[in-house]
Parts: sequence; structure tokens; C-alpha cells
Amino acid sequence: MKRTLSALTLAMGLALAPAISQATTAADVQSFTLENGMKIMVLEDSSIPNANMYLFWKVGSRNEAPGITGISHFFEHMMFNGSKKFGPKMFDRTMEAAGGANNAYTTENLTVYTDWFPAAGLETIFDLEADRIANLDIDPKMVESERGVVTSERSTGLENSNIQVLMQQLKGIAFRAHPYSWSVIGHESDIAAWTQQDLVQYHKTYYAPNNAVVVIAGDVKLAEVKALANKYFAPIPAQAPPRDVKTVEPEQQGERRTFVHKPSASSPSVMMGYHVPATSHADYYALDLLAGILSAGNSSRLYQSMVDSELALEADTYLPMSFDPNLFYLYAVGAPGVAADKLEQALIAQTNRIAAEGVTEQELEKAKNIKLMNFYQSMETINGKADTIGTYELFFGSFDKLFNAPEAYNKVTVADIQRVAQTYLKRANRSVAVLSANEEMDK
Amino acid sequence: MMKCKPLLLAVALALSGCAATEGTKPLSVDNSPAFQLPAYETLTLDNGLTLYLMQQKEVPLITVNAVVRAGAVNDQLPGISAMTAESLLLGAGGKSKRAIEDKVDFLGASLNVKAGKEGSYVSSKFMAKDTEQMLPLFADVLRRPDFDAAEFAKLKQREIGGLIQAKDSPRAVVGNYFAELVYGDHPYGNASGGNSDSIAALELSQVKGFYREFYQPGNTAIAVVGDFDVAEMKSKLSAAFADWQNHAKPQTVELKQALPAPTKARVLLVDKPDATETTFVIGGVGVTNNNPDAVGLTVVNTILGGRFTSWLNDELRVNAGLTYGARSGFVSFSESGLFQMSTFTKTETTEAAIDLALKTYGRLWQQGIDQATLDSAKAYVKGQFPPDFETSGQLAGLLTDMYLNGFDNSYINDFEKKVDSLTLAESQRLVNTYFPKDGLQFVLIGNAAKIAPLAAKYGEVTQISIKDVGFGG
Repeated sequence: MKRTLSALTLAMGLALAPAISQATTAADVQSFTLENGMKIMVLEDSSIPNANMYLFWKVGSRNEAPGITGISHFFEHMMFNGSKKFGPKMFDRTMEAAGGANNAYTTENLTVYTDWFPAAGLETIFDLEADRIANLDIDPKMVESERGVVTSERSTGLENSNIQVLMQQLKGIAFRAHPYSWSVIGHESDIAAWTQQDLVQYHKTYYAPNNAVVVIAGDVKLAEVKALANKYFAPIPAQAPPRDVKTVEPEQQGERRTFVHKPSASSPSVMMGYHVPATSHADYYALDLLAGILSAGNSSRLYQSMVDSELALEADTYLPMSFDPNLFYLYAVGAPGVAADKLEQALIAQTNRIAAEGVTEQELEKAKNIKLMNFYQSMETINGKADTIGTYELFFGSFDKLFNAPEAYNKVTVADIQRVAQTYLKRANRSVAVLSANEEMDK
Repeated sequence: MMKCKPLLLAVALALSGCAATEGTKPLSVDNSPAFQLPAYETLTLDNGLTLYLMQQKEVPLITVNAVVRAGAVNDQLPGISAMTAESLLLGAGGKSKRAIEDKVDFLGASLNVKAGKEGSYVSSKFMAKDTEQMLPLFADVLRRPDFDAAEFAKLKQREIGGLIQAKDSPRAVVGNYFAELVYGDHPYGNASGGNSDSIAALELSQVKGFYREFYQPGNTAIAVVGDFDVAEMKSKLSAAFADWQNHAKPQTVELKQALPAPTKARVLLVDKPDATETTFVIGGVGVTNNNPDAVGLTVVNTILGGRFTSWLNDELRVNAGLTYGARSGFVSFSESGLFQMSTFTKTETTEAAIDLALKTYGRLWQQGIDQATLDSAKAYVKGQFPPDFETSGQLAGLLTDMYLNGFDNSYINDFEKKVDSLTLAESQRLVNTYFPKDGLQFVLIGNAAKIAPLAAKYGEVTQISIKDVGFGG
């Protein structure tokens, strides 16, 4: 039987949907913590005969330092390159032969491993994951080959995406102290340079069960998951907790700028970033809704003022979830013939306008409705469910917060939107990156 | 940064390699029953409009998808099918573009259009409680577009800008170059969006003509999937669409004639002087989408280039470190199809990567497939099948694909059986029958000054600039 998640939604507090019959409560997300500190959450859902396992490791580029930038992401690759029981290539071969597939991603804050499999393959997945957590074999030959793969990943991103080029440059000027300064993929010279010792130490420190959160959703039973977790994960010893990231980015004292020359660019692109607090800060909800008001849908302020008015081909915002204070991004690609400065001024005009005049009740309600829709869509798949539960656990301190978020979004007023725009989206707090085929000239 | 699929901001890249495989034994056996298509109803209104209704109650959402049998193959003027689909959203039933967008966004809903090679699509997803507002709007967009001239002029400028900008990303356009290289002037070579010159020349009256010819109830199907009462939804659909009238039958386009059968290897070299890597596709003619061996071919392609441990990804990425990912696949149409292997590598290793891709491809004939690899691929294909049909959007897409491509429930319900029945001998027959062996076609996008000399090794070279309008035709 399919589970309805309407109550999750009610709890989100955004719910407008009538006729809610079946209720899901916090109790439907079942969780337990092993003695080694690994927290495991389970959501039973038999809508398809499949399940997934999400392993969230609290390690990302924020845990790095110059010389080993990109090592978190490199590790995401090395975790597939052989362990004691399952040698090189055998992780993927074993999983795929059991009907499973996997992927993984690294962010500034997290490294996340995702396994999708027929539910009957659950024990195989536990066996595979436990072996690479407890007994990773960092083969020097695999390290060398993987450097080539990651270098290709880095260059193909820069070749195909001006957004990636701009973001890399923008982070570099917006942060001069905090590790958010470098891109997740790292500096090319660091990718070529880290040592075997760096890798061994990194794994021991960060891939400890006490540094992980695991979510399993799908056609499984809690008792079955508990038994397998006790068999495979519980014997892995805890480690001393990793050191905290203590660097606090000093307050920015004035606008910062950077320029990228790319001859093949068909039109200029502009990206700007404003320092904002961590996701755990009370202002997160207002900032998130502000981002929606600016850029969600064709009725949004950026589309109307820039795309519809033929200044830009696209205009967007991005507010990453983040453990430490990070950036609120604005981004636009120029329409043919539109100069970069015009594009930049158009973006600034919109943020300034909200700071000066605020937004309408209608706009705020729209942004809340769009959030509700996004939530339903994430709850439509076992994949979306696992991801959402894990995300709340990590960025809001507990998956229970999923059931409080509601109030937090509903409490946001038009005055709050204007206040956060005034507080954060101001010139002195801004960094700007411009990419263009035409090199900047001395005036 | 991802193991195989990069994802940053809203950038999703298309050629990720997620796919070597000998000697693997499953540790567990999947005993779950075969995945079956959820129940649905089909009805045809008197005007010929086909309706599919499938109830899915997990979340209070509804997806409505319409497909019109018209696409780039019908483009007498390059891009007209795509521009017609886009024009539906420029105002309809007396509501302006802005009024439609305000309504859709306020409800948190979506309303999108798209034109493919053989079908044009209108798709909407909304909360079930908003059906009374969204269904009439959907009907307006499909049936009563206003074709506002001022909005059409602006749309043209956005599309022209988008076509030019797409070339900033070789990966986004390499498929268009490849289709045009293989098909030439045949309708399957038509790029869905046309090109920047053709769009500039397009007139609104021509778009209206295309709409009138193809957007008719007898040429359309609508699938509704989600949280609704079937009887109620039927009457709502009937109220919205029963009085939609047909007029002259649309012209059909001859697709069976002059299909390509390349015997000579050719290389289209697309120069991008500041490229740091070469993006390439190698392949040829594939199979039609109603090919009776399609499921078996999915399994064989999984082995070659359809998953992380596939031969191509294992050799080019895992063993050689030449690329972030390499893959292969069939792209199928009603009367033909493409087969393509795709990857990218830094400029300096272009030759090594192409040679390794070709050598690995050759294993299909020289070495063949072994039993353990076949078993693994079969388990993989079956295990990854159900999540493709989990959401109302995926299921609605499946139903409209059934209409367009003429397949039925057996595609889903017999899938596992067909996978299970695939033997080694049968796999080798599929290799020998369907995978192009000679006269391979190559598209290379990169720095021609550095890679032109090696390009000649693979076939007769045509060189163009990425800045040239269109895709080489």
C-alpha cells in the first residue's frame, strides 16, 4: 500500500490541501543510533519494490585547507576504488549485479553516497557500504588513475558551464579566510599533489561512524534494517570527532569584483554573491522565500524585469544549505548585445527595489505555495523522501525539524522579506564576477 | 561534484558516465514480483481525442500531459514545431502571457511546452485542489492560443539568443550535430529548435498555420495521472475538450524513404578555438522505437555503455583515467534511430580516447559477451526499472509515449520476462544485427588547430566553426 505523506505537509504548515485523510507523523520516520554513534533513519514505503540507502558524511570542502583542496570530493571517488572484501571495481560490479545503482556527490558541507536497489538487495548494500567504511584500501595505482578522472571532471565543468567558471571565481573573492573560498572540486595543482598519507588520514578522521547519518527509505522493514545495521555497521569503531571548522569569515567592508575572459562566450554572464548566515539561522526561511520571489517562475521579479524585457536570456538565484555563513547568489546571462554592466545593474536594481519598497502579500503567498509544491514533489519518490529527511537532520539539527519548519515558513511576513533584503543584499556585502568574450580594458 | 553526474546550481550535464563486469556473482537474488503498470482507463471522445486516466494517491498532485503528433520531422521551416509549441504560452483564451504565468506560479504549479522529433507536448503539474483552475487554463493553452504578435517577436529574440548561447556548451549541442551528420536532409536530421537564422525568418502566420494543421483532437492524446476521482475527472475532461473540432487531416511526412545507410566513415570537426577538451560522439544508424528486440538491446547496451561498470566507462574512465565518463545508447524514432557512443577528454588525449573507444566497441564482435556479465546486466536493468515509473509525471509521460509510439501495456508488464529470456546466443545476434560496425560517423567538437590532423585518421573530414549558424547541414 502506498503511504500518504499529507501530515508531513500539514506539519510543514504551508498546507492548503483539503481532504487529508491519512496522516504521517514524526513517528513514521523511525530512527535509532548505534553505540558507535551512527544515526540511522528508516521510512517504510512499499510503493515500488525498491529501496535506497543515503549515507551523509559530515565532510566537505569546508573541512579542507590549501594544499589539499578538493580532497573531500576526491575521496568521494576513492570510496569506489576497492576495500578489503570487495577489491578494486568490485563495489560497483557487486552492486550492479544485484540490480543496484549508485552515485555520490560532494558539497561544501557534505559528502553523500546514494544507493538505489531492489529491496531484496538490502543486505548486499549493507555489506558493501560497511566494508568501504571500515576497510578502505587506498591503492596508489588507483589514486593516480583517479587524479585523471577528477581532472577531467574539473575541466569538463569549466568547458561546458560558465556558471561553474563564475562561481569558482566568485567564491575566491567573497571568502578570504573561510574554506568556502575554494571550489568543491579543488585547485588543479592540489588534485595533482595530495599524498597517500593525506588520504589515509582523511578517511580515518571523517569516515568514522560517529560522523555519519544514514537514511533508508523504501520497501523495507525497520526490524530488518536494525538487524543488518547491528551486523554490518555496529562493529565499526568510532573515532575521535573531527576538529571543528573555527574560521569565521571577517565582515566584508566593501564591494569586491573579479573578471573572467572567455573568448568563446556568446554573451556576458554576471554572478554576484552576498554574505548570509548559516542555514540554522532564523533568517534562513525569509531568505529562502526572498530567493523564490526573485526568481521562481516566469512571474518572478527577475524574469519579468530582465528576461521579459530582453536584457537577459536567464536570471536566477541560488541559496545553498550550509553549516557556516555562506552566500546568496544572483546570476544572469545576457541577451545578445547586452553589455555586462547593464546586466549587473539590472540585478542590483531588483534587490535594491525590494530593500526600498518591500514585496506584496501576494508574492509572498506565491513563494510559499511554490515551496509547498516542491515539498510534495520531493515526497513523490522514495529518493526524494530519503534526501529530504537526511537534509533536515543535517542542516536543521534533527529530522524532527521537518515538522517545525512549517511554522517557521508561515511566520515569515512581508516585513521580514524587506528586512533581510536590507540587511544582507547591500553593496558593501556584495562580490561580483563577470565573464565575457571581450577583455576588460583600462578606461 | 559527483561520482558520475555533475550537478551544480541548476546545471545538469547530459553525458555523464555511470556504467566491467566479468566474474560477478549477485550476493542476493531479487525475488520480488515483476513490476506491473498501475491500472488506468483509456477512452476516445467523439472528436477522436484519446484520454488516459490513472489514479495515483500518494501525494495530492495531478499531472496532465498532452501530446500532439507533430515535431521537428514536420518542420518545413526549421524550428517551426518548437516555435509553435512555445507560442501556446504567449497568451490563450483571452488571458495574456503574464496573466497565465501569474496564475500558474501563484498556485505553485507548472505549465510547460516542448517539441521533440515526432511529438509536441504540453505538460502541467498542480495540486489536486487547484484542478478547477488549472484544467481550464490547460485547455485554453492547447485549444485557444491567441498568438500575440508582440509576444511572438520577443519569443523569437529569446530563442535566437538561446540557440547561440547553447553553443557555449559543446555537450549541449553535440547531439544536434550528430543527428544532422547521420541524416543529412532527411527529416530526422532536423534539429528541434531550428537555427538562429531560420527562427529570425519565421513569421507568426506560418506558426498559426502549423498550429491549425496539427493541433487537432484526432491528432492528440491527453494523459491525466494523480490524485483525482476518475468519474469526476472524466466529466471535467469532457467539458473541456468534447467540443474541440477537427478540420482537414494533417499532412503526413514520408519518413521511410531515403533513410541513410552510411558506408563511408565521416568526421564532422567542429572548431571551438578556446576548447580545453574534445567532446565527441561516434556511432551510426540504430533501431526504430517499436523494434521487437528493443528490450534485449537495452541489456546489451547496458554492458557496452549504459552503466558505471560498462565496458566503455570501465576502459576510458576507470582503467585509463582519460575522462569523467563514457557511455553509449540508442535514440529511437518511429522509422529509424541513432546509436551513439559519447565522451570527452582533454585536447592532448583526444586520439587515445577515440582509439580506446573504438577498440572497446570492437569487443562486441571480437570477444563477445560472457554469461556472468549478461546476468549482471539483466539484474541491473530489471532492478533500475521501477523507479522510472514512480511519479505522476513519469507515468503520464509513459502513457503519452504509448500513444505516440504505438506500444501497449506489454512494454511494462512483459519487460522482466523479455529481459529474463535473453540468452548469450541471442545477445550476439543482436550485436551482429543492430550495432553499426562499418562506416562509423564521428562528431568532434574541440580545438581544430590541434586535433584536425588526427581527425583525418577516422574518416573523411568536414570542418566547420561552432559559431557557424546551425549544426553543419
